[in-house]
Amino acid sequence: MAFVNWLKRNLVVLAGLLTLGYLLLPNVVVTVFSFNAPKGRFNYEWQRFSTNAWKDPCGVSGMCGSLSLSLQIAVWATIGATTLGTMIAFALVRYRFRARGAVNALIFLPMAMPEVVMAASLLTLFLNMGARLGFWTILIAHIMFCLSFVVTAVKARVMSMDPRLEQAAQDLYAGPAQTFLRVTLPIAAPGIAAGALLAFALSFDDFIITNFNAGSTVTFPMFVWGSAQRGTPVQINVIGTAMFVVAVLLVLASMAVGNRRTKQKAQALVGS
Amino acid sequence: MTTLTEAPPPLAPAAPGRRPPRRRGRLVPYWLLLPGILWLLLFFALPMVYQASTSVQTGSLEQGYKVTWHFAAYGDALSAYWPQFLRSVVYAAVATLLCLLLGYPLAYLIAFRAGRWRNLVMIMVIAPFFTTFLIRTLAWKTILADDGPVVHTLTSLHVLDLTDWLGWTAGDRVLATPLAVVCGLTYNFLPFMILPLYTSLERIDGRLHEAAGDLYAKPFTTFRKVTFPLSMPGVVSGTLLTFIPAAGDYVNAELLGSTDTRMVGNVIQAQFLRVLDYPTAAALSFILMAAILLMVTFYIRKSGTEDLV
Amino acid sequence: MTTDNSGDVRLCGISKTYGSFTAVHPLDLTVPQGSFFALLGASGCGKTTTLRMIAGLEEPTTGTVLLGDQEVTHLPPYKRPVNTVFQSYALFPHLDVFENVAFGLRRRGIKSVRKQVEEMLELVQLGEQARKKPHQLSGGQQQRVAVARALINHPKVLLLDEPLGALDLKLRRQMQLELKRIQTEVGITFVHVTHDQEEAMTMADTVAVMNAGRVEQLGSPTDLYENPRTTFVANFLGTSNLIEAEIDSAAGGDIVLKAGGGKLVLPRARCSAPATTGGKVLVGVRPEKISLTHADEAGGIPEGRNRITGRIVDSSFIGVSTQYVVDSPVCPRFEVYAQNIDRDPRLVPGAEVVLHWNPAHTFGLDAAQDIDAGVGTAEEEGA
Repeated sequence: MAFVNWLKRNLVVLAGLLTLGYLLLPNVVVTVFSFNAPKGRFNYEWQRFSTNAWKDPCGVSGMCGSLSLSLQIAVWATIGATTLGTMIAFALVRYRFRARGAVNALIFLPMAMPEVVMAASLLTLFLNMGARLGFWTILIAHIMFCLSFVVTAVKARVMSMDPRLEQAAQDLYAGPAQTFLRVTLPIAAPGIAAGALLAFALSFDDFIITNFNAGSTVTFPMFVWGSAQRGTPVQINVIGTAMFVVAVLLVLASMAVGNRRTKQKAQALVGS
Repeated sequence: MTTLTEAPPPLAPAAPGRRPPRRRGRLVPYWLLLPGILWLLLFFALPMVYQASTSVQTGSLEQGYKVTWHFAAYGDALSAYWPQFLRSVVYAAVATLLCLLLGYPLAYLIAFRAGRWRNLVMIMVIAPFFTTFLIRTLAWKTILADDGPVVHTLTSLHVLDLTDWLGWTAGDRVLATPLAVVCGLTYNFLPFMILPLYTSLERIDGRLHEAAGDLYAKPFTTFRKVTFPLSMPGVVSGTLLTFIPAAGDYVNAELLGSTDTRMVGNVIQAQFLRVLDYPTAAALSFILMAAILLMVTFYIRKSGTEDLV
Repeated sequence: MTTDNSGDVRLCGISKTYGSFTAVHPLDLTVPQGSFFALLGASGCGKTTTLRMIAGLEEPTTGTVLLGDQEVTHLPPYKRPVNTVFQSYALFPHLDVFENVAFGLRRRGIKSVRKQVEEMLELVQLGEQARKKPHQLSGGQQQRVAVARALINHPKVLLLDEPLGALDLKLRRQMQLELKRIQTEVGITFVHVTHDQEEAMTMADTVAVMNAGRVEQLGSPTDLYENPRTTFVANFLGTSNLIEAEIDSAAGGDIVLKAGGGKLVLPRARCSAPATTGGKVLVGVRPEKISLTHADEAGGIPEGRNRITGRIVDSSFIGVSTQYVVDSPVCPRFEVYAQNIDRDPRLVPGAEVVLHWNPAHTFGLDAAQDIDAGVGTAEEEGA
């Protein structure tokens, strides 16, 4: 009876943990199979333990090149989308202007559109203009679909900002440029950072839009896609595992720093 | 109570008459909007126009295409590919429902029951994002492999007999069946369900639960009458964020499915990149876009949540 | 006092309209150098808009703003020698206390700020907190940072927008005294916006009572309290008993009035309405000026006092005084505050009483106004 009651109370926890398992299972498989020594071209069946792939992560021709291309595109797309998106977010929150509804719709639609539709229509445009598909067309596409997400993230932050802070800066002899640099930007920074992070992740991981508009250029997700047809090298798993681990470590580190700050704050409060 | 006089909006409408020089800043919002909006117009809106025009063109790759207002492409596309359309909608709907059923307990767990583990669980939800989703999707090939533990378990539990009977699986296989595709779709878009759910659950004041309990509601009644209705904004945006990309996806169908599980995304991709039949592909893409926009509009109206952005 | 007038604030016909709504009607106002000036009114009366026009955060629709002899109407806030203590302070959350205070100095290109900032933090007793972030401070400390951040720039005028609104009552009283001390110490002009009449009266030399975008009356706190010229001021500042009366005779220095069968005397000098025989005026008297005598002892009341008879309907004991509500033929809810010196045990609800007061404490107002204007507005603010 006690067990049944316990189960009743913790049913939601158990269900949640099962979902968490479902979410993490593929990462476990990816990690385990990065130590596999597969027979044949595909790395889908466990054979025996080996660290060969970890010793030679760039041993597959083209893979590390595609990885570096993906990183480059992600960096530039992040810079572009964050700049343009932050400007739009500020305009939306801080100013009045005509056609606000149309602007909002134009921001919302890319997020409510299946990627394949955007990918296909963009390709039609590029073909019609006779553009050469490659780095630049990928970058253009990435900035386009990351833009809306940056706007949303930055907008949320700027909206929660007290306009009196900027008025206070003006009152204290800061001109418009100084006010922006010294007050607005630092306070909006967490929102901008969140938007930039999101843009980076979206761009780096994008496959569908890139696949349509890359021509013969190969980004990392496209390399993985191609290898699913030709044969999957273990190095793919090595890269996947490494990215996961680096990301988790970065997050944990930033949380530790945040925790230390919170503790200092708490001490300061108790001390005062 | 703040009225207009006490705290005027930062940008009150300009009064008519002589404008002193300071207000030349009225153009500022337009300059701020210009580059980004131009970008979206050029590379999002304009392509839509091109696509619409391509869909009513005839011709061939060699001789070039001309706008001939050949609307037959739409009829042809629909009659040839209606099974793929239907499949896209059904798979995406089932995956969305599964995401809701699986995601809600986890979002609830993070919001109310995780305590000091909250951040850690949150990281575990987000962290898989950092491994390229194609690699993770390929991992399902291993997990669902024909003689793997998952298939063995399902077979011995006679679950596969049931799914076979429903037509979701074939023989003793999960891979290359609708079940595998839906499983992949559910997996890939689950975080898009969990995050908005969590956001709206987290906003709920914990005291509301106590108040409901105080007013003689049993835990499940509390959930049904208080928690779930309050989390509706999260449910609405979560289902949209899951359904839209799932309906247009072709990666899961390609990697985990077979020719019998092809979705509309696969067709568009093939027509565009391999068959090079641009009018048909454009027509298909246009239909998909229109269908999704209609559904989204209807859904948002119906659920009364218009503040998604 | 010096003859320097660079800290004068002069508003000449300034007004502000938003679309069809007029927040401030054309207004003329002079705040002399070195004074503590309060703009008092309920929310929505236009006091904050007026302040923001002085600060440069709002541009007047008409009129000019002068600081000393300099016209600043169209100068942006960052070019005006004026600083503001904002409502809820608007401290920069990303900067510590020191940098918040140094902000204005740095923006004006002053390099060595340390000494000045430290002195200013001493003045507001926050020397120890220099390296804390605003959110680590208590409400009262944040308030002092906001004052220091503005004062360090030696503005010609310091503007305070409900600076104590976010503090609890006790801290508020303490900060009122502190702000007054600082003002006396630095000697610059303070313009203070508040909805709290007690705050305005304890701190300011001059108070302007605003209502619906207009200044109702301007004067020293005592003057406003003793000689209100409108029903709004009479009711908004403290409590007034207002009686409608007809002028019986207006000869010499006193006006004799008929009200509810009795006669009341009102000094002509204290009547702001035109006094013609047969005309109507509103007669006012403050509750604490009134004495209460049981009807049985009415014979002992000296001659020459204004009298009204009535019956006590309610009494509440509040320590220093007892507040009575008396039903009388001229006014159904006459309020009387009696000091608890010699309490007459017969003065309980139901007792017949005579209210009487020195005619010199009577004031007269124009009867053409709403008798209840300003009643309850001050209380609504707290909600």
